[in-house]
This record gives sequence, C-alpha cells and structure tokens, in this order.
Amino acid sequence: MIQLRALSKSFKGVKVVDGLSLDIKKGEIFGLLGPNAAGKTTTIRMLCSLLEISSGSATIAGYDLSKNSDALKRTIGYVAQYFGLYKSLSVYENLEFYSSLYGDVEKQKLLELLKKYQIIDFKDTKAGSLSGGYKRRLSLCCALVHNPEVIFLDEPTAGIDPSTRKALWDIFYSLSQEGKTLFVTTHYMEEAQRCHKIAFLNHGKKVIEGTPSEVENSLSEFCIYSTRQKFDYKLLHVLHTTSGVHLVNQFGEELRVVIKKELTKVKLEELMQAYIQENIELKEVKANLEDVFIALTQDNS
Amino acid sequence: MNIVKAIAKKEFMQLKSEPRLIGFLIFMPLMMLLLFGYALKLEPKDVKMAYVDADKSYFSNLIKTNIWSEGYFKLYEVNSTTQIIEEIRSGRAHAGMYIAKDFSRKLTDNAQPTVHFYVDGTMPSLATSMKNNSDAINGSSVTNDMYFLDEDAANVVIAQDPFVLDTEVLFNKDEKETWFFLPAVIGVLIMQISLILAGISMVREKEANTLEQLLVAPISKTQLIVAKILPYTLIGFFEFFFILFLGYFLFELPVPASAAVGLLLLSVVYVGSMIAMGLFISIISQTQQQAMFIAIFIIIPSILLSGMIFPIEAMPQFIRPVAYLFPLTYFNEIIRGLLIKETLFVDLLFDYLVLFGFSIFFCIVSILKFRKYIV
Repeated sequence: MIQLRALSKSFKGVKVVDGLSLDIKKGEIFGLLGPNAAGKTTTIRMLCSLLEISSGSATIAGYDLSKNSDALKRTIGYVAQYFGLYKSLSVYENLEFYSSLYGDVEKQKLLELLKKYQIIDFKDTKAGSLSGGYKRRLSLCCALVHNPEVIFLDEPTAGIDPSTRKALWDIFYSLSQEGKTLFVTTHYMEEAQRCHKIAFLNHGKKVIEGTPSEVENSLSEFCIYSTRQKFDYKLLHVLHTTSGVHLVNQFGEELRVVIKKELTKVKLEELMQAYIQENIELKEVKANLEDVFIALTQDNS
Repeated sequence: MNIVKAIAKKEFMQLKSEPRLIGFLIFMPLMMLLLFGYALKLEPKDVKMAYVDADKSYFSNLIKTNIWSEGYFKLYEVNSTTQIIEEIRSGRAHAGMYIAKDFSRKLTDNAQPTVHFYVDGTMPSLATSMKNNSDAINGSSVTNDMYFLDEDAANVVIAQDPFVLDTEVLFNKDEKETWFFLPAVIGVLIMQISLILAGISMVREKEANTLEQLLVAPISKTQLIVAKILPYTLIGFFEFFFILFLGYFLFELPVPASAAVGLLLLSVVYVGSMIAMGLFISIISQTQQQAMFIAIFIIIPSILLSGMIFPIEAMPQFIRPVAYLFPLTYFNEIIRGLLIKETLFVDLLFDYLVLFGFSIFFCIVSILKFRKYIV
C-alpha cells in the first residue's frame, strides 16, 4: 500500500531523513518510532505532500507521490500532532467544513460518523471548548470524513489519558479491520507495542524494522537482568562506568541492567553485591521495546 | 516585586527574539518624527499653475515672476480661461491665473485692474492660503513700478493697491473640508479593513494549524488563496459603497451620476490592490501580531503622505516619490476627481492603471510566495 524507496529530505544541507525505504501492506498498522528530532514528522509530512522530497521516491496506493495529484490527496487522511480545528465553529460545523473540501456534504453520513466516534452528544459544542480526548476524536473524524484508504497519524495519542488512548486504539484497530492502512508515528512504547509492524528511526536513518516481538528479540548480543532489591545509589555510577554495561534503567523499585554477554551474570553479581545489603538476586528478563529504544538511541549518539 | 521584575524581564526577552518587532519600535517613531518634522507642511510649494497672459506686457511679466516669493507656483501657459479650468479639473494643475488684455492700460490709467486667480477647491489648504495671502504678489519692483499716480493732483483718489487680486475657488466653492477629507476617508477605511482582515487571514490558519489540513485536501494553493480573499473582497466592496452612501446622506457629499462607472471601476482596482497587499502581508508574517504591525506600518504613512491631509505639493522633493508608493495616493486623486471635479475618465486613466498594477503585482507575488510555502 505504501512503498518508500531511499526517501530523503535535507534542510539547508542537513539530512533530516536519510534514505528511508519501507514497505507497508494494506490493512497494516505501521508504527514509525524514534526519539524527538529523528525525522518522523518530516517523513509523514513528505508523505502528505506538505514537504517536497529531496531525493528518493514514494508510492501510496499506487500513486506516485512526486506527481502530487488530487487523486492521491483523496486517498489519504492526515491527523497532525496538533490538528487544526476551528475553535469558534461547532463540532458539526468543523466536520461539515472539512467534508466540503472533498466534495458534496451528506449530512446523514456526517452524523453517523459523529455517532460512531461517540461525539454526537457534543455536536453543537464549540470545538475550542472540547476536552483533549474529544478534540482527538473530532480531529480523527475530520481526517476520515472523505473515507481515505491510508491514514497518517502523527503522535495520535500524545498527552491523552490511558483509557482514552485505549478507546482511540480500538478505533484504529477497527479501521485496520475495514482494510485501511494506518501509518503512526510515536515515541510511546506502549503505543508501539500495539502496532502490527514498526520501524525505528534515529538521526533520519532506519535502524531496525519488524514486528514488535522481532524488534524486542533484536538485542541478541545482550542480556538483561533485573532486581527489586534496595541498593546504594553509588551503584548507578559504578555501573555506568563499567565497560560491558550497556544500559541502566530504573522503573520504580525495579532496576534493569543491560549488559553485553561477555560480562556474564557472575561478574555482574560480584560487582553489584558490594552495594546491596541482602544476598543479591538477579533475574534474567526479556527485553522490552523501551530497552531496545534506549539502546538504539544510545548506539548512534 | 521580584515577581513583577521577573515577568517584565521575560517580556523583554521575548521581544528580543522578534527582530522585526524591534525594527518597528525603532523605525516607526523615527519615521513619524522625520515626516512631521521635515516633510509634512501645510504650505504648498511648486504648485502647478496654468496661466493666460493676454496682456503680454512688462507689467504682466512682473506679476508672473513675482507671485509668491518662495517658489510657490510653477507656471505654464495655456490659451484660454476654459483651458485653465480644464487643466485644474484634470488634475494637471491646481491653480490658474488670468491676466486680461487691458491690464497694463488700466494700470497706467490708475484704474486698479484685476488679476484673476483660480484655485482647486479640492485642496482647501491651498485655497485658504491663496485667499488669505494678500501680499500674494510681492517684491519691491512690483509695487514701485506699478504706481502711476500723479502725486500733485490733489483731487485724485489714491487707490491703496495698484491692482486687485481676485481668487475664485473652483469645484468646491464653499471650501468644505469634509468634501476634501471624506472621499479620502473612504480610502483609509477600505485600507484598514482590507489590510487587517486579509492580513490575518492566512497567518491565522497557520497559527491554528488548520493550514496544513487545508493543504492536505485536494485543493491547489491558488484556489486556496482565491477562496480565502473572496469574502474580504466582497466586504471591501460593500464597505466602499456603504461609506459613500453615508457621506452622501450625512454630509451631502456630491455623487454625480456621471461618476457611477468610474466609482465601480475604482472600487474594483482599489479594493483589489488593498486585498492583494493584505494577502501578501499575511503570507510573509509568522504571527498575527506581526501582520498587524506591518499593516499599521503601511496605513500610517499612507494617511500622512497620500495627500489626504497634507498636500503632496507641500512635501519636500525627496519625499514626494514615496507618496506615490501608496495606493491611497492614486485613490485620492481619482475619487476627488470623480466626485468633486467631475474629471474625465481619460484624465484619471493613469491612476486607475497604477492601482490595477498594484493588484496584479501583489497577487502574483503572493501566489509565487505561497507556492513555496512550508507550513
């Protein structure tokens, strides 16, 4: 459905997106991950024809992006990170306006859309006074009003509470079920976990690509150990300066240490015992996306 | 107190990051000061005067060379009084002078001949100063050479002056200042409405992030521009005729039927040029605040330099070309001509073309600029 071939974008000689190639199938929810300034938004904006491509090519639903045709624009929907709604217009008026950009407005269809996304009760409320969650729902409605094949979502649930996030993802899954292709950018691992396929972007380059579990297993030359025991904070400094320790990550009471296999569990235990009063108990755990995310980000920086 | 200081300091830091704004803060007062100090005076200079000298004598020459000492008028000769009036009607001259054939004969007869002046009533400041200035013609040679009195003849009534100046105000006979200002006010109001409304039109979409959503939809950038400015253009037309209508009813502003086509055309080219400028402002601005500042930066010098209040003839030479950079200058020329002098369309054609040029120029520049626009 979406093919990118060596897509690149430079601003004043600085490559922001560097030779990005991707293949995304119809009905897939694809997640583009990466730290801030990795080039995620730039990629999505190129694909929505808001930015010109510096080099490379892309086809979306069979349309060549560089031709910038109206047919292509009718095929895609774009939910920007800060979606523009007209604050002084009501929910319905916003939807009606965006619908009119694509042709005749069918009132019945619009009302059904509002019903489907559960904002029909706020139909006459001014968009400016909606809560964050409902603003997202309305943005989504406005972007879907012309029934696009491909939907681009730039950080769709940033700043959204977990239950609303789940509700939005339920919508995304139902869209995927309907055969729509979703292209999502995010730096929330929880969100990445929900995608069918993900790719990781760092400094504009694709670092890794695959299903979430494939990506989690990609840290094969590393082992991850976890403990919930109380430790002296000096330990953190010691670990950071020990060669072979790749990453130290704290989650509340849990301390996760990613080490190169050569370091071995025994050596790590010896090292850590000095800072822990009880007998040390290290558990080997599976890598999660967050570990991979941070590991990959550190690699390149 | 510390909190007040901290917030005030932050305001300054934010200002510092807007170099354009700082430019305005410094340049604006400087410009106003220079304009009022050097450029804006009510006393005209080099006013074009069409004259007829039927006498062609030593004395009539004396008058021509000594009218108002400091280069008040620039004279050129025409054939008849009708032509003088036509020159003023068309705007080629703002004043006229007629010296009758029997001028020197009457002068030598001590019969106190009349020098006839004409002045454009659409320029009240000129009319007033010409009427009030009794020593309009001075220079000792004039007075010394023109007395032909036999001082010994006791029974001769000595006239106070050798000749009489008679000034006739043309077109706006009552010198109604409202007639002078009101047509120009239409221009200013249209300018304010158009520059500000069109000026924030695009940048507002940009600030609200709605512009990207519009650009993702299947509309071309040119279509988007046209759709954005259409409402403001209609509002501009409405305002134009609404204010004209108010002027007609409240201040008896003359609206001759013969001016109908001219007014319609004027509304098209003037509203067009203003909206196009507003659009351009909107596209080059990053924030609504910036757009407002640029608009004000055009509006104020327009009012001061367009001849609306101060005659362009009263401005020093170096500033006059600047006056012709503002559409309002051409607007004033046209509307005063149409309403008060009933100037022929042909004589205003140049001004119409300039306004039309402004519209086209800013439209094209805006579209080109917007094509490369990255949200």
